[in-house]
Amino acid sequence: MSKKIFFTLGLLSSFAFGHTALMSCFDNGDGSVTCEGGFSDGSSASGTNFRVEQGGNTIIEGRFDEDSEFTFDKPDGGYIAIFDAGEGHQVKVDSKNIVE
Amino acid sequence: MKKLVLSSAVALALATSSAFAHFQMVYTPQSAMDKGGKIVLKHVFTHPFADEHTMDMAGVEEFYVIHKEEKTDLLSTLKPITFKGSQNSGKAYESEYNARKMGDHLFVMTPKPYFEANEDAYIQQITKMVVNVAGLPTDWDAELGLKAEIVPLTKPYSIWTGGTFTGVVKSNGQPVPYAEIEVEYLNHDVDMKTNSTSKAGKVEAPQDSFVTIGIKANKDGEFTFGIPKAGWWGFAALGVGPDEEFEGKELSQDAVIWIQATDMK
Repeated sequence: MSKKIFFTLGLLSSFAFGHTALMSCFDNGDGSVTCEGGFSDGSSASGTNFRVEQGGNTIIEGRFDEDSEFTFDKPDGGYIAIFDAGEGHQVKVDSKNIVE
Repeated sequence: MKKLVLSSAVALALATSSAFAHFQMVYTPQSAMDKGGKIVLKHVFTHPFADEHTMDMAGVEEFYVIHKEEKTDLLSTLKPITFKGSQNSGKAYESEYNARKMGDHLFVMTPKPYFEANEDAYIQQITKMVVNVAGLPTDWDAELGLKAEIVPLTKPYSIWTGGTFTGVVKSNGQPVPYAEIEVEYLNHDVDMKTNSTSKAGKVEAPQDSFVTIGIKANKDGEFTFGIPKAGWWGFAALGVGPDEEFEGKELSQDAVIWIQATDMK
């Protein structure tokens, strides 16, 4: 039993560290923004952590859905969208690069 | 003596056919995009290296994009344009597509057969081109089971100059052993605003066999080609599709794919 758990964790971590994390965001033009996450081998980011920071504070937090997407209301002012896949696997997108 | 004349005639015939290596282009300046956005495409039937003649496209049978295994028809997005090559102008098309989503956007365009009077035959080049957004690989290697198709084994948009491109030539999903493939470099810059190409080519061929480079697939229909220079390269597998006749004349149903190489710097 414990062997099985260990093995699964091992696979998960090698998956997370073997590939580059990727994210792309776009403004939906209706007051919302969608960010999509993924990995360079084509695998999904579904279920991994996503957050939005403004001035160093986390203002929105959640996980990518089954389509590897996260849609949120566009905050007033500048913000940073962060796909957090663990240490060494953070992708940040500045709001000034998020366009319709 | 007679034999010599005959072989010269054969040589002439060969020279003529090499001077007319047609390539259906589905062109956009950048195939590897940092983020989503509008993609403008130019659909031009030309000779990309020599640019000595731009053909009048006969129309388009099918045009669609595949993204995350979902097919979207784009036929209605095509608008007729006149494209000015460095020697003449020809009927062509342009289209716009919003590639918002991350991943591969695989374009497939099947033109209506073009009548080539010089060869008294029709040519139809089923053409694939892939644009990637933000590096996520999704559909570039899709096997679509087209009548004539080059299935890439190398991502067509992330090739360094000096790297290679490998593909498999297929006919209705089956590999074509020893398929004949023509390779050409897009030697003239395309001006997206004026729908024209630059008069001067970037490189000069030392001899005719370098204009259209002829290669062959192996017994499994696979081929690999080293890419010596940055820019767009077209690969056309000739006459591999099952349709051999159109309106009572011979038809060459070809598979075309475009790849883009980038300098390391």
